[in-house]
Amino acid sequence: MSPTRQPKISIKTTERCLQPLVLSQETIAVEVKDLNLYYGDKQALNCINMSIPRHRVTAFIGPSGCGKSTLLRCFNRMNDLVDLCQVRGIISLEGKDIYDRKVDVAELRRRVGMVFQKPNPFPKSVYENVAYGLRIQGIRKKHVIDEAVEWALRSAALWDEVKDRLQESALGLSGGQQQRLVIARSIAVKPAVLLLDEPASALDPISTLKIEQLIHELKDRFTIVIVTHNMQQAARVSDYTAFMYMGDLIEFGSTDDLFTNPHKKQTEDYITGRYG
Amino acid sequence: MEFDKETHSEHISTHFDAELEQIKSNLMAMGGLVEQQLADALAALASRDALLAERAQKSDNKINQMEITIDEECIRIIARRQPAASDLRLVVAISKANRDLERVGDETCRIARYATKMLREDVPSNTEVRHIGRHVSEMVRNSLTAFARYDTELAYQVAREDFKVDEEYKFAMRALVTDMMEEPRHVARNMNIIWILRSLERIGDHACNISDHLIYLVKGINVSHSSLEQIKETVRE
Amino acid sequence: MKIGLRQWVASGSPWIWLNGAAVAVCVFMVIGILLLIAVRGLGHFWPSDILLAQYQIKDRSSRIIGEIVDREQVDAQQLRDAGFVIENQIDSLPRVLLKVGNRDVTGTDFIWVLGEQLRQIQYATYLFAMERREWGNFYGILHAVNESGQPVATNIDDGDAVVWQVLKSRIARALEIREQIHTIESQTIGAINYGLEQLRLRTRELQLENRLTAVESALIDEQRHAYQEQYADLQEQLVILYTSVERDSLVAETMDGRSVEIKLSKVVRAYRPNTMSWLDKVIFYFNKLHEFITEEPREANTEGGIFPAIFGTVMMVLLMSVLVTPFGVIAAVYLREYARQGTLNRLIRISVNNLAGVPSIVYGVFGLGFFIYFLGGNIDQLFFPEALPAPTFGTPGLLWASLTLALLTVPVVIVATEEGLSRIPRSFREASLALGATKAETLWRVVLPMSTPAIMTGVILAVARAAGEVAPLMLVGVVKLAPSLPVDGNYPFFHLDRKFMHLGFHIYDVGFQSPNVEAARPLVYATALLLVVIIALLNFSAVAIRNRLREKYKTLEN
Repeated sequence: MSPTRQPKISIKTTERCLQPLVLSQETIAVEVKDLNLYYGDKQALNCINMSIPRHRVTAFIGPSGCGKSTLLRCFNRMNDLVDLCQVRGIISLEGKDIYDRKVDVAELRRRVGMVFQKPNPFPKSVYENVAYGLRIQGIRKKHVIDEAVEWALRSAALWDEVKDRLQESALGLSGGQQQRLVIARSIAVKPAVLLLDEPASALDPISTLKIEQLIHELKDRFTIVIVTHNMQQAARVSDYTAFMYMGDLIEFGSTDDLFTNPHKKQTEDYITGRYG
Repeated sequence: MEFDKETHSEHISTHFDAELEQIKSNLMAMGGLVEQQLADALAALASRDALLAERAQKSDNKINQMEITIDEECIRIIARRQPAASDLRLVVAISKANRDLERVGDETCRIARYATKMLREDVPSNTEVRHIGRHVSEMVRNSLTAFARYDTELAYQVAREDFKVDEEYKFAMRALVTDMMEEPRHVARNMNIIWILRSLERIGDHACNISDHLIYLVKGINVSHSSLEQIKETVRE
Repeated sequence: MKIGLRQWVASGSPWIWLNGAAVAVCVFMVIGILLLIAVRGLGHFWPSDILLAQYQIKDRSSRIIGEIVDREQVDAQQLRDAGFVIENQIDSLPRVLLKVGNRDVTGTDFIWVLGEQLRQIQYATYLFAMERREWGNFYGILHAVNESGQPVATNIDDGDAVVWQVLKSRIARALEIREQIHTIESQTIGAINYGLEQLRLRTRELQLENRLTAVESALIDEQRHAYQEQYADLQEQLVILYTSVERDSLVAETMDGRSVEIKLSKVVRAYRPNTMSWLDKVIFYFNKLHEFITEEPREANTEGGIFPAIFGTVMMVLLMSVLVTPFGVIAAVYLREYARQGTLNRLIRISVNNLAGVPSIVYGVFGLGFFIYFLGGNIDQLFFPEALPAPTFGTPGLLWASLTLALLTVPVVIVATEEGLSRIPRSFREASLALGATKAETLWRVVLPMSTPAIMTGVILAVARAAGEVAPLMLVGVVKLAPSLPVDGNYPFFHLDRKFMHLGFHIYDVGFQSPNVEAARPLVYATALLLVVIIALLNFSAVAIRNRLREKYKTLEN
């Protein structure tokens, strides 16, 4: 993971990008403008234009390799960790371009939290896991951390299950509980946007439903973007859905519209299971 | 979005294809039965054939059973397949059309019953009934054809026809009421005719509903309570 | 069920048998070595019986008193060549090594005698043995106990039992007084000497800086005066104690009939092994073992305990671990996490790995030249000019020895740490970064704690390697006999500039450089056994710590 020289690549500068869907009556949390992403010579995202509305759940769906996880990871610049990854275009969070040179990446990642597919709590106690983000910011006062931990665990619908075992190792929890703990950990620092990369795909159906319920409860306070393979989950959980295919954004619209009457044949084919 | 015969096929799951095909063909079969039943009932009136009337009444059982079958199949598909987009609209449209067809069957059965009564009382046949009957039969046929072919233009025609039928009905009613006021002896038999006309008008409405469902299936817009102009716009856009 | 040979070979069984045989051979070898050392070493402390016999050489017969220490078979022809008359059909004869002690009287304390020529062997109960502060053991027959030259109890008058009791009580008293003397001399007076030395250094320091005013001078003089008064007081006390301890003595007869008087102040312990029951002997044995581990050495390291060597070895190993761990871990973290993965990185890695192959004596020379002469010399110039020309850090010492060994073992720690770092799944790093931590915070809070088992593995390997190295230490800090321990009660408590004793070096020194090889040999074995035990203990405790850490971070197994 150490930096290397960036290889020289030629980028077509005359690409015409499709215009983004104009969402009326929604405040926009994240604006993506003419985003192109390259892994070395290979282009992984083609001219994405999209607006993520605030305090709503937006789902990215699409077949494997379409670029939805890649796009998600652009929002908190986790793609910086990959050598040979180059990003062109603008992603603005609350009006400011996150790829600007002066941006403090660690601070950005505090504002934009991420939950991964496989639950990955640290091998520390439950309390310490949730307090991790706070401690990094330099918060030291015990009562402040205590309150924040309790708030986060309550918000993640986990408090009742763990309040008696806060000091025990987080690895003793079940998969579903671990994932909720990870969500609690992410929201403890009160991010503006929460990115969920297939958060329930490693869990059993009941835990999945609990996570979906949690997402529903959280969306009043956070802007949520979720990548999922499971179309029914996207239909259940999201307000807006983006369908991506081979690095392109094919369609973006409200979930109701997209799942009852999509505009593009590709979207229709994918949603009805004709894509193959 | 382009809609053609192939739209609801070619799922990755061929079993799903088969299931959708199944409810569609079942609906068409039921539609055929209903058409036949209506033709029988109207023929019974026109040619004073009591046997046809009886046949029309009897076939209602089969139609009701088919309605239950199609309904159950639709629910099963929803439970097991969680259909989305056009598949979902297909299932919902078929489910609704199913219900409308069954109502058509019921109304036709009612017509057949009145026909039987009228034939026993030796009532002369009525022009309006014949005329409106033909009109409505055509509407039913067209709506089913439109459904089979996903032909929204034809569906629009059916909706337009419905207005005409409503006009004819009102006209016929006025004539009959006038006749009853002038000739109190005709009340009994005119009542029967009124009931028959009423059923025919309802059958027209149901045919119109089926067309609306088809337009919803193809266009994704619910035009049940839209004006004719709006329907024209939706179809032609 | 008979299986064909080819099938048996193809099934892989021969290789399994071979593996098992190899492992068995190794295990036997290890157990064999440990048993050998244990028997030879631990047997040294057991109080064996003293025999009394008539030794027949040609026509002279003399009395002999001593302990049997060793037996062997001697070739008969060698004996005939030496002048002994032996019948022709006999090929070899047994002979016995007797420890007769009394080196001050007879000159040698070990004698080989032919088993045949010992007549009238008896284990008389009145024979006694005595450990002394000089001249080794004494074996003989007790006659009387004197106080200031006058007999207090004699064999003839009071009987043997009474004399023995009196002797024991007087020895106990003498030991107590010696203990007091030792405390005063080493600790109290030691502290005073240390204080005086500090004053001297302070004076010199002020002189060098031209800050020595009359006021300062007067202050120092005052303090010096106070110390010297204390010293005079203590001297008086010591004089009293010394006269008191020198008061008693015993009279005994040696095997050749001579009567000697021995001052009780020179006696460490006296015992009668022939009268001791098995339980008594066991208690005696454990006392001797305890003395071995906790006491200081006497008689040029051939007697007494080896506590300073134990202390020095453990101190050095601990200090080395403390030095090597941060070096190794930081180097490994840099190589893996921060450095660009290019040619320079590979070069550094290759060099580090080659460091592990350099012979350890080369490290000793490097330590001497660079650490001691260059670094130490400069430190002396800068910080301790007042002590010059006597070097403080410009001479071999604990710090340089630990540092040299740390350098020796750093490649091992680097490799083990790198291995541990690479095993941490990416998901933890990503999770931490996604929460807004910088790379350094992620390393410090998540990755390194999870790598501690691997780091501990590296430290264990480093300790195992370093504890066995002796050659470089001879150049950079170990001595035969250290005057004081590197840790004592005087500020600043940890004296890293002092030389120290080391078990490995002790074995070499006692075994091969000692003036009395026969006397020393059992001690070599005992010390070797102790060294093995200590290293095993260090390793086990490190492994236990690592296992506990592994439990804590068990996630890696999932």
